[in-house]
Amino acid sequence: MNFGKILRTSSVHWQLARDYAFKSDLKIKWVRPEKLPCTKPEKSGDLGKLPSINEKELRLDFKNSKELQDADPVVQSLFQLGNNPLAETSRYLRDQMIKEVQRHPLDYGSMEAKLARMTVRIRSMQEQLDKFPRNIKVKVTLKELIDKRKKFLKYLRRWDYRRFEWMLEKLDLVYKPPPTKFHWITRKESLQKLTDAHCEQIKEERLAEYRKVLNEQKIPFLEDAIKKMEFVHKEQIDLEIPLTVTEEQIADFKRELEYLKSERETKTEDRE
Amino acid sequence: MASRGAILLGQCMPCIKKNASKIRIRHMELDKNLNMYFKKDEYFFAHDPEKVCKTGDIVLIRELPQRLTRLISHTVEKIVYPLGDIIDPITGKKVVVGKYRDEIEDANRLYGKSEKAFDYEKAPPRGRLEGTRDFTHGETYIKYHEDGKDQPFAV
Repeated sequence: MNFGKILRTSSVHWQLARDYAFKSDLKIKWVRPEKLPCTKPEKSGDLGKLPSINEKELRLDFKNSKELQDADPVVQSLFQLGNNPLAETSRYLRDQMIKEVQRHPLDYGSMEAKLARMTVRIRSMQEQLDKFPRNIKVKVTLKELIDKRKKFLKYLRRWDYRRFEWMLEKLDLVYKPPPTKFHWITRKESLQKLTDAHCEQIKEERLAEYRKVLNEQKIPFLEDAIKKMEFVHKEQIDLEIPLTVTEEQIADFKRELEYLKSERETKTEDRE
Repeated sequence: MASRGAILLGQCMPCIKKNASKIRIRHMELDKNLNMYFKKDEYFFAHDPEKVCKTGDIVLIRELPQRLTRLISHTVEKIVYPLGDIIDPITGKKVVVGKYRDEIEDANRLYGKSEKAFDYEKAPPRGRLEGTRDFTHGETYIKYHEDGKDQPFAV
């Protein structure tokens, strides 16, 4: 055992004490934050969700088909999104989202279009992962995609800040820069930080209290000072000694006193 | 040292001080052992009561004749390049990565510009999403404590 210190418990008794594990007496309770998977929307910065779609909507490729418009209802239903694989719905949503942000009708490769496409993919994968949490392929792809989107957002911010802000609004995203340094969350370090914050708070409170005390002493001090200065001024005139206290100085002090008094009045009125 | 009023070029970093900006001056330092240069960062606090420079801007700072506070030793002289609003110094045109903005706009017009697309003329200046969507004006940290309150800068 590491006994580095000898404690004297009474006049006769001595006791060995460990010196390395300092335990604070402060009643600070530390709650370890729950681990949030990086695939969750709260972590990835997705505020918005995918729009709900009309299941009777036709597939993307057959939307403008004239033959389909005049076709039998049974044939038409074969091309509805509800009767097609989920991938078709995803494709449809992706196209919708890209059309919201693209620069011109043929633009599918600009940064905005890329970000929009990624966002829809991420959101649909997040829904998928909620249903099947053990689908590792989706999980890995999703994680990679989220990281990539974050990197692209970082680039866009550097290239064109206003466009970046506009994109955040359009896609309903939150952008937080990564922390400068990675570290694991430990009990010791967290408690150190909490203790520091606690000490800082105590310091602020005490300073505020002391400031209040000093401020209250200001008006009596000024009143006293004006009285004494007036007395000295009068005596110096009477005894015909060179003046050290001029009327201007007294006027200055009086002005300050008035200002302080008016300020205090306004404060009390505010409180009422 | 203090009286020379040296001018430095640096980048503005996120800073929580009220009337100061934190400026990073980066220079290369020679490692004599490896005979290689490595980046070395130096941080200065520049007096900036109106917070004219935002995170990421390239600014010029001038040394004050006297330190204002224990930390603040410089003032912000000029913002050379605001982040994400780069101007080509030769032609004076705005640039996005490798292209002029005008060229991009021209191309969009040729293809038929979409009405929903981003428009520079309508876009308000930077900074309206600070604290709601865009958290780059402060330093983020790894969340270490759950206190029930909202911690916007926790990651």
